[in-house]
Amino acid sequence: MTGVSWASKTGMVLALTGLAFGAGEIRKDLHFKVGKRPMVSINNPYGPIVVKAGVPHEVVVSAILHSDKVELDQSSSRNRVDVISHLLPGADQNTGVVEYEVQVPPEADVTVHSENGRIHVEKLGGDIATEGSDSSIEVLDCSNGHVHVKTLNGPVNLSNVRNVHVDIISMGGNVLLSGVDGPFVSVNSNSGKIQYAGDFGDEGEYDFTSHTGDIEAVAPAYASIDVMARSDQGHVESDFSLAPKHTPFYVRGGKSFHGTLNKATSSVKLFSFSGRIHLKKRQN
Amino acid sequence: MNCPEFERILPEVLEGGHTAERQAHLNSCSTCSNLLADLSDISVQAKTLADSAEPSPIVWNAIEAQLRSEGLIRRSAPAPATPPWFRRWQNLWFVPVAAALAIVVGIKFYHPAGAGENIQTARHIVVTPGATVRPVSSEDQQFLDAVATRHPARQARYLADKHNADAFIDDAKEVVKDNPGDVYAQQMLINAYEQKQMLYDLAVDRSSGQ
Repeated sequence: MTGVSWASKTGMVLALTGLAFGAGEIRKDLHFKVGKRPMVSINNPYGPIVVKAGVPHEVVVSAILHSDKVELDQSSSRNRVDVISHLLPGADQNTGVVEYEVQVPPEADVTVHSENGRIHVEKLGGDIATEGSDSSIEVLDCSNGHVHVKTLNGPVNLSNVRNVHVDIISMGGNVLLSGVDGPFVSVNSNSGKIQYAGDFGDEGEYDFTSHTGDIEAVAPAYASIDVMARSDQGHVESDFSLAPKHTPFYVRGGKSFHGTLNKATSSVKLFSFSGRIHLKKRQN
Repeated sequence: MNCPEFERILPEVLEGGHTAERQAHLNSCSTCSNLLADLSDISVQAKTLADSAEPSPIVWNAIEAQLRSEGLIRRSAPAPATPPWFRRWQNLWFVPVAAALAIVVGIKFYHPAGAGENIQTARHIVVTPGATVRPVSSEDQQFLDAVATRHPARQARYLADKHNADAFIDDAKEVVKDNPGDVYAQQMLINAYEQKQMLYDLAVDRSSGQ
């Protein structure tokens, strides 16, 4: 009898402890039926947003609210789904946190915003727009759409993003592009470093600009590029022996160069005001 | 924690966000501890002006003296006791802007080279009283109003970003001025303005994220 009593007491204590720990968090699961190529928007001031490819014709949103100081506002009409973390009076960057995991049809167009939470988008084929202040932004294994990134100081990482129109604006966040190609790839950074590792695809235009941030592009020897680089107050160098080409501006040694490699099917422009620019040869 | 990492979280530390790790770095690094002390002084003095219609010359002089002592500014010409530009700026917003500007300049340029950071700024910075105060457009004012409602640490970051965006615009303008027919210089100027536009969009349009 005593043993049973102790067991039940222990069970009660464990149950109450569990309740106490879980009391602040609220889980919500939302399901939306959608048509072909839906538009999904998630606006979450505080907390991470992870978006992955799910099944066709369905959007599944799993959200963990960290307190009752925040609630979910949702709306859907035809092919559009909007979910907003609505901060209530008294909410701050701790109590206002919502963690999202979202599954969307692979061809969905997605717009996500978070002030400081991680933004992760994976395996999608539609248009992707992400915005963040300090959020780290990752876009992996996506293809065939547009990728727009706006960030103030969060790092940006695009990896294995193919045949995509890329447009990134960053103030202080470093931008890393690995295995990224498409008809137009643009990075506009202030002080953040821009790093590109890839072969620049075929017949694409790659424009990387910074104010003070360094620009580093690593390409294989077989890359087919027409590359123009200039840093007004920084240093410029290339590991490649480029075939010289006429430039519309005065070429200063160590400050700018313009040349081609192989058939020069892609255009690469690397411009900085005072950042260092380095076109590196990939060591295989 | 190293010096660049400490600088990144400096706005939080200024708001009292101390942790054991941060304190350990402060204890071991006189450069960062001095920087924090100086910026705290500036911040405290700026707050004392919140209720006045015009900042005290004492505060401006203290900021100026601090920047001059660090070799960050130099006087281009003897300044009058009450310079003309000073009288134009009698609105309250001048106080946080001037203080934030001083903090931004302090954060960006105080740290000496060779302390483990890859210093990006190669330009010779000349800051003279009045020269750093640019005209405020309606968009600027809207931005400042929106930022003023944010958490102080967030405010500091927004103002630092604005400073960097403005610096990019100024530098790009100079390049265009020197090379009027250079389409790439013009594109760089457009990019600089795009950065500022993005900053304003994120600060003003996303006011829900306090």
